[in-house]
Amino acid sequence: MKATDARLIALPLSRDKIDTMLLLASAVLVLAPHAAHLPLWVSLLCGATLLWRALITLRGRRMPPAMLLLPIAAGAMLGVQFSYDTLIGKDAGVAMLVLLVAFKMLEMHARRDLYVVIFLCFFLVLTNFFYAQGIGTALMMVASILLLLTTQLSFGFTGAVPPLRTRFGMAARTLAIAAPLAALLFVVFPRIQGPLWGMPGGSGSGKSGLSDQMAPGQMSNLALSEEPAFRARFFGRAPDKAQLYWRGPVLDAFDGRTWSRGAGRISGRNLHLAVGQPGVDYEVTLEPSQSHWVFALEMAGELPEVPGRQVRLSSQFELTSDTPLDARLRYRASSHTDYALQRGALLEGAERWLLLPYGFNPRALAEGRALRLIDDPAQRVQAVLRRFREEPFSYTLEPPLLGRHTVDEFLYGARAGFCEHYSGAFVFLMRAAGVPARVVTGYQGGDINPLDGFMTVRQSDAHAWAEVWLEDRGWMRVDPTAAVAPERVNRGLGASVPRPAPFGIDALRGMNPFGGEGNAWLAQLRDAVNAANNGWNQWVLNYTPERQRDVVQSLQQQLFGWPFAALLTLGGAMLLLLRFLRRRRETDPVDALYLALCKRLAQAGIARDLDESPSAFAARLGADPGASEIKLAPQARAAALDFLRRYSAWRYAPPRQHAGHHRQLTATLKSLLSQVR
Amino acid sequence: MTQGLRGWVRRSTGAWLPRAGTQDAGEIEIKSRRVFILPTRAGLGFAALLLVLLIGSINYALGLGFGLTFLALSCALVDMVATYRNLAHLRLQQGRVAPVFAGQEAQFELLLSNRTRLARYALRADFADIANGADLRHMTDVAPGAQTTVTLSVPTNARGWLAPARVKLSTRFPLGLFQAWSYWRPAARALVYPRPEDGAPPLPLAGGAGNNPRPGGNDDFAGIRSYQAGDSPRQMAWRQIARLDPALGGQLVTKHFEGTGGDGLLLDFDAIPVWVDLELRLSRMTRWVLDAEARALPYAFRLGALRYDAANGAAHQAACLRALALYGMREAA
Repeated sequence: MKATDARLIALPLSRDKIDTMLLLASAVLVLAPHAAHLPLWVSLLCGATLLWRALITLRGRRMPPAMLLLPIAAGAMLGVQFSYDTLIGKDAGVAMLVLLVAFKMLEMHARRDLYVVIFLCFFLVLTNFFYAQGIGTALMMVASILLLLTTQLSFGFTGAVPPLRTRFGMAARTLAIAAPLAALLFVVFPRIQGPLWGMPGGSGSGKSGLSDQMAPGQMSNLALSEEPAFRARFFGRAPDKAQLYWRGPVLDAFDGRTWSRGAGRISGRNLHLAVGQPGVDYEVTLEPSQSHWVFALEMAGELPEVPGRQVRLSSQFELTSDTPLDARLRYRASSHTDYALQRGALLEGAERWLLLPYGFNPRALAEGRALRLIDDPAQRVQAVLRRFREEPFSYTLEPPLLGRHTVDEFLYGARAGFCEHYSGAFVFLMRAAGVPARVVTGYQGGDINPLDGFMTVRQSDAHAWAEVWLEDRGWMRVDPTAAVAPERVNRGLGASVPRPAPFGIDALRGMNPFGGEGNAWLAQLRDAVNAANNGWNQWVLNYTPERQRDVVQSLQQQLFGWPFAALLTLGGAMLLLLRFLRRRRETDPVDALYLALCKRLAQAGIARDLDESPSAFAARLGADPGASEIKLAPQARAAALDFLRRYSAWRYAPPRQHAGHHRQLTATLKSLLSQVR
Repeated sequence: MTQGLRGWVRRSTGAWLPRAGTQDAGEIEIKSRRVFILPTRAGLGFAALLLVLLIGSINYALGLGFGLTFLALSCALVDMVATYRNLAHLRLQQGRVAPVFAGQEAQFELLLSNRTRLARYALRADFADIANGADLRHMTDVAPGAQTTVTLSVPTNARGWLAPARVKLSTRFPLGLFQAWSYWRPAARALVYPRPEDGAPPLPLAGGAGNNPRPGGNDDFAGIRSYQAGDSPRQMAWRQIARLDPALGGQLVTKHFEGTGGDGLLLDFDAIPVWVDLELRLSRMTRWVLDAEARALPYAFRLGALRYDAANGAAHQAACLRALALYGMREAA
């Protein structure tokens, strides 16, 4: 950039100008990521201001007067008020800061202003994290700091200024030395759970995720989203894929078209859950969703401990948090895949799971009523599942549109649908048949990343299934989709649904994110990227006080073992030795001896003058025996004179003879030096 | 606040720091324990920034914000070490100090040598107790293995020996967040000659009659000699100068006169009436020595018990001026 600028005006830039351009470049680097979320006019105004400043620098013009700047700044403030309806608050505050940095560039007079700009830039690097905290943002941060340091460093020179590349090197070295220290601080610096004051406003609004309702077509929208919903790490073997039902909202009420949660939810007091087999322990890292839903495998034996939040269990065995999940959340949970919920003779409030809206789906209602002829409710369930399995039902992401009688049209017309159709129709039939039933939504499945062992559950794994209550089983999970498309449950969505080809071109089908077996390399790359992202989330973005406690504890155990102590001692000793050797190498041993002699003579009161050569010094020492003898014994004086003669002869000898008797000379001089007392 | 802190450090370190009395003879190395370091005003600003970054990161639960905060903090710490290393292990040596006349500035030469492989930038040398403001004249760099000279000037006003104040060597390089400094008291001292009297009576020519008003030695033209600083324009040999082309290496020349009492010029301190102030008498003697030298007149010199035979030349002048500078002082040696 510097080079083109210089060519532009056909003049080599002075040092001051280069430094100013460097400062401008850092400001551009810091401000650029903010353009993504700022109103367009703010970005344009900042760009124009910085360009103006660059022109002022290159052309050597004067800075604009304050009389001109003040109205512009006031106008910009009004603009912020107009765009955000406020001047305070996070987003408006960031916009104001961005404008401040840009305008401050035009109002720099003293060295103090430079520090103000640089410090503001540091702060703006932080504000960018409100909007993005990915690995790319981190790289951008490092680049920004590097440039800021280079700028700050460049203004520190007063005389000679090394070339820009050297200065970059100096800044990079500073950063390289600082990085391990920063990493250490990051791990061990005591963390406090925020927030310190009012909850920060919603970040990343409009996240997709499971909703509290289910209408035809809603789930299939989610199915197209590759966004991760959460990640899970199992301590021990992960359950089979067919067991991976992550329970979410339970939908009780049906209004003829939409399933919803209905009213009258009480916290689960009279629930009883019988579990068999040892449970599965795992840790979930939930992505921010702005909803209250906390997911756990069916069925969670106890309430997961979520730091900083209260988790409640509803009577439908749903887990909810007391506050919206606006940040990534990590919790441990324990579940039992083998369970019996509410088993017993009586189901309290069973009528709500038998309710059906009046005037909808008459054919399905009649079919359900007919099922009551079968005595055993479990047989009624099997009868419906058999119907799904044996009749030509198909599983598709693009079901035909349905009219008023959604269940009728699905069961007797289209016979093609997604999980929401199957679970809805199944629950409808069951209720008509007098079996208490409800729709359960959540996620089914998940992919284990072989690189880091984390299971990723995506929005596309969103699923809806059913629960029916049988006296001797309690609430029993029935997945009617599995009856139609068992591969959906066993292998995931990608295997069970023919995906639309990109742009409708069949040949591009291989490019599908769900990919076939053809691009294993691509799948591997995707795994690696996922693992990196997950590691980043786990260790950098969600390094909570709890995780810190664990890490510090395990570090303590490792550090106080003897191998580490031995390694530390050895490393320290090596470092000291290296330092000592480097010191030694800095001055020639012969020169070092000469300096030692001069020091010794100076202690005796005969200091060598600064501009005195060894021979001149010797002459002075020899010429005035009376005076120097008072301070020096005659023997010592003779030795010093001999020393100086030899040293002078060696020092001023032609370079070729230098190397030869170097060692011998050193020994001689050393013995002579020892005589000077 | 910095000022207060600095003052405290200054007071509390004064006890064991080189102050008046102890002098650093010969070449000394700035050892680690002689280097002091404190944050500058910008450094305190940076600390405030770090606090804001930390609070922001905690409040908004910005994992990456913690990363930024700690990285910035670590950079500041690295800067602290770098600032210290920019100063430590430099070697200091006093240079020559030329004698000056009272009223002129004594120039103390300070030699900084760098025997390490680390380039030192933006070092500032200054006298510790004389506020000079931000004077860029004393900023210097020292390349690895090189030596640079800094000249520090001190105004003088009294004759005699002038011992310089403590030299303060400081630096804020590289990032300006910290200032490292060290004190050094050079052993060199400057000899300050008396101030030459302005409008002094003319040289006491011819047998040392102190107040003889004869404009000394303007009588007999004895030839020309090359120009010396201080020659009066009236004595310039303008005709000769006009003939010599400066471009061809011509020099200014001065007419040289032999005074009638040419070898009889005696500068006798006791000949000046005693009611004249002592310092003024010394100033007058100084002026006469300079005048006699300027006119290349051999002069004898008497100052109390001290007697120098008639002579001239730099060594003679230096001896005379030195005697005048130290007249009546205890450390006349």
